[in-house]
Amino acid sequence: MLTDVEVRSKKTEVAITIAILMASIPLFLAFSLLVLSSFSKEMMTNLSLESFRFTIENWINVLQGKLAFTGGIRQNILKYTFNTALVALGVAGVVTLISALSGYALSRMNFRGRKFLLMFLLMLHAFPGVALIVGVYLLYRLSLPSSPSLVTTFSFMYVIVARAALEVPMATWLMKGFFDSIPWEIEWSAIVDGASRIRVWRKILLPLIKPGIAAILLFGFLAGWQDLIYVRTFLVEPTLATYIEANLEAEYSHMPLIAAAGTLYLLPTIIFFLTSQKLLLETHSGGIKG
Amino acid sequence: MKKYSNLFQLSFFLTPALVIIIVFYLLPLVLTVYMSFTPIRNWNTERYLSQFIGSYNYYRIYHMVKYDPIFRQVMINTIIFVLITLIVNVFGGLLISLATYFINEKSSSTLRLVWLLPRMSPIAVYSLVWYYFFHGSEIGTLNSLLLKLGIIDKPIVLGQGVIPWGPWSIIVFINGLVGVSFGMIVFSSALSHIPRELVIAARVDGATNWSISRKILIPMIRWHILYVFTWQLLSLITSYAHTFLLIEWGLVNRDYGTTLSLYVFLTAFGRGEQDQGLAAAAATILAIIGTVLGFLTLKILKFERMIAKPRGDI
Amino acid sequence: MVTVRLENVTKRFGKVVAVDNANLEIKDKEFMALLGPSGSGKSTLLYLIAGIYKPTQGRIYFDDMDVTELPPKERNIGLVFQNWALYPHMKVFDNIAFPLELKKESKEEIKKKVTEVAKMLKIDHLLERYPYQLSGGQQQRVAIARALVKEPGVLLLDEPLSNLDALLRMNVRAELKRLQKELGITAIYVTHDQAEALAMADKIAVIREGEILQVGTPDDVYAKPWCKFVGGFLGNPPMNFVESTVIRESGELLIGESRIPAPPKYAELLKKFDVSKVLLGFRPHDAEVIELKPNMPDPPMLVGEVFAAEPLGRETIVTVVLDDETYVKVFASKEQKFDVRDKVGIVLDLEKALLFDKKTELVLERAFEKKEFS
Ligand SMILES: Nc1ncnc2c1ncn2[C@@H]1O[C@H](COP(=O)(O)OP(=O)(O)OP(=O)(O)O)[C@@H](O)[C@H]1O
Ligand SMILES: [Mg+2]
Repeated sequence: MLTDVEVRSKKTEVAITIAILMASIPLFLAFSLLVLSSFSKEMMTNLSLESFRFTIENWINVLQGKLAFTGGIRQNILKYTFNTALVALGVAGVVTLISALSGYALSRMNFRGRKFLLMFLLMLHAFPGVALIVGVYLLYRLSLPSSPSLVTTFSFMYVIVARAALEVPMATWLMKGFFDSIPWEIEWSAIVDGASRIRVWRKILLPLIKPGIAAILLFGFLAGWQDLIYVRTFLVEPTLATYIEANLEAEYSHMPLIAAAGTLYLLPTIIFFLTSQKLLLETHSGGIKG
Repeated sequence: MKKYSNLFQLSFFLTPALVIIIVFYLLPLVLTVYMSFTPIRNWNTERYLSQFIGSYNYYRIYHMVKYDPIFRQVMINTIIFVLITLIVNVFGGLLISLATYFINEKSSSTLRLVWLLPRMSPIAVYSLVWYYFFHGSEIGTLNSLLLKLGIIDKPIVLGQGVIPWGPWSIIVFINGLVGVSFGMIVFSSALSHIPRELVIAARVDGATNWSISRKILIPMIRWHILYVFTWQLLSLITSYAHTFLLIEWGLVNRDYGTTLSLYVFLTAFGRGEQDQGLAAAAATILAIIGTVLGFLTLKILKFERMIAKPRGDI
Repeated sequence: MVTVRLENVTKRFGKVVAVDNANLEIKDKEFMALLGPSGSGKSTLLYLIAGIYKPTQGRIYFDDMDVTELPPKERNIGLVFQNWALYPHMKVFDNIAFPLELKKESKEEIKKKVTEVAKMLKIDHLLERYPYQLSGGQQQRVAIARALVKEPGVLLLDEPLSNLDALLRMNVRAELKRLQKELGITAIYVTHDQAEALAMADKIAVIREGEILQVGTPDDVYAKPWCKFVGGFLGNPPMNFVESTVIRESGELLIGESRIPAPPKYAELLKKFDVSKVLLGFRPHDAEVIELKPNMPDPPMLVGEVFAAEPLGRETIVTVVLDDETYVKVFASKEQKFDVRDKVGIVLDLEKALLFDKKTELVLERAFEKKEFS
């Protein structure tokens, strides 16, 4: 595709690139120092190369759950990672399922209140989260099961659905956009052949919007994975986020250990960064077009 | 018969979403408003939830606005934070998307991806990264940089020592980076939909990057600029997650780093004395502000016009 | 005002060779049409001249100045895109004024020039409208006005009429040609419509797969195509091609069962060179269909059967299938009546018929010249 005049000064282009690179330096520096420090005996954040002495001890300690200042108590970091992943996968699943259903209805079905619902969803998306969380927590308290053995399960389910609820409005709009892009004729021909809407949705449209579904899954997963507020408020089990929150105050000598935990927590983000750039940009251009 | 089956199908598709909305938006909202009329504290629901104290919590807020220096500082923080971050977000996003528009596709998408990092990282890691960056000792990247350059001779404790601009600049910086990526994505996607011929035609006529941006690109994405502006305004008023840990970890001064929504959160869930009645009252006020602003935004942006009717009569 | 010259210009996009070693000269005040099918590299060639693309190899000259490395704005060209590329957020006036504003001309000067060019194109009553409030034809005029307002040395047009409906296209065609002559401007015009090229251009360059096959006046290109492709691309219906075997001894062509004398101008060549398979090319107007009557002395002709007859008003196009399954189209007068399956003969105007080498598809004289023939 023709993008720009080829005969033009490369100088400005280089200058612009350098300018953006310069502006990105703090961002780049801050993240890479964290990753580097996790492999070093001392923190690298002071920018001096002397503090870098390579070691994988931090990683071993983190994975074994050894935090010096908690003495003999081991923190089962694998369990925390599992908890984090459970929440993230749960959120991804719930968000995708619900929005695949509602996105279809809003894209393809004409009913009274459709426009209102679409507008209302946008309003919800922008609704102050903090105004909700107080009420959501009260609801949690009121519906907590009395038997202690069920509390853990309940809190997982609750945090997943509550967190997913925050993403449902946006995800519905995104899904609607994906459905909008499928030609109507495909659907009509199936309906003329006698299929119900539910069947058309299941057998014809869902396979066609697979890339969109993948995008929403990723979107939901990252939302659940990165969450701090909801897991610390509702979940009785620790996650990577609450682990880092609680253990930051370790003394200087243990900082690289936290850096390793942070890097571990950052890992999926980095992996998705390297593998699914297109998908990421797609979800984040969010709902609005043109 | 047909009507009945249509209704059945519609409810098949919409019920889950409606249930979620009712349970996790509408019901909590009612509960929050209800709580704001009770003296509930420390989540002691048995004791307080059935007591009704009228508008006392709202009166307390009114009183705090007038006389409580800490709360007044929270208000000032909120205003400063929202205004400056908003400007940083909109202009930063615009600047990056325009700049990357003029460089080759490959480097521009890589660069844009780097700027997505703040939005995509786990909040705890993102906070951690900046915790080290702004740390008030030699291990803080900023401090050691300034020390090396000889600009300062001993570390400065930016978030606690330099009042009020130290904490302010940290929270603006950290939230600004998150917001910049939003503007950047929206603008870049809007720019990519402008036919390239327009730009090439302007180039043939002798336009520079600057005049192309000013005369063609920016006017053509006016709607998107307004969209990002209003949307970011709304989300800045209500965002607190990215500041929360920095204050808890002591990087940023509590009094000068707390904004209204964080105040609500800390009042309801923070360490020490919790006062959910007060928090609920403040949350209700925030919800009203959010609803009004959101409604205005939708009207201004004429979102309704973008909603097309489904085709056919099936 | 400007002569444009391309020397050995090649443009590659990765592996695709969009323009292959093009040599072309467009004289001052000349109207040159770049004609070719879709994907042949016409636009690429135009954009190379505009400076939007940079040649992979070769040089481009404006008069005697080498402009290969010069950015477009320094080439003083006016460019009209296929979709016209009007700025949707600017009124017509501002659209036309934009190039002048970039040159930092004074307000009065701009106003004067814009009004002038708008008058010339008869859009002076539309200056306060936005592009979306205009019809296709009006938008197209605005685009041309914007290209002309800065008084360019060369006017480059990339299929500017293809978004207009057929009738409008005819009118604009004539106007555009008159305008170009009045202004005395060098114009290069990209089109895939052969009728447009024939009607408007002083010269036509026919392009296929990035290669310039032939450059010449419309008459030349139409009457004396250098290769089968050019003959087949121009004219509607296009030139007919019939495979034939040369009988050297008698100087005749054998087509199926029929024998006809070779066109006289090839007599010498056919004696000199040994070639057996040729393609006989003739235009539908350069032949006559006659009914076969029993016991009549046959004139030399091709024999076949009527496949279809399409009356066009003044004339009829008769499609005839020859014995060897080749289809040819010939014009007949409307008085002649034909039914499907009628046995007919086709008598050629041999002066105008051409022979092409079968393998290289070059017209024979060129095939011999290049020593490329089967
Ligand atoms: N920027 C590009 N990158 C890669 N290939 C290109 C590019 N531009 C053109 N091509 C290829 O070069 C060839 C010539 O393209 P060009 O656009 O010049 O054709 P054209 O003759 O103008 O066709 P049309 O009549 O369809 O406009 C095509 O095969 C096209 O796919
Ligand atoms: Mg083209």
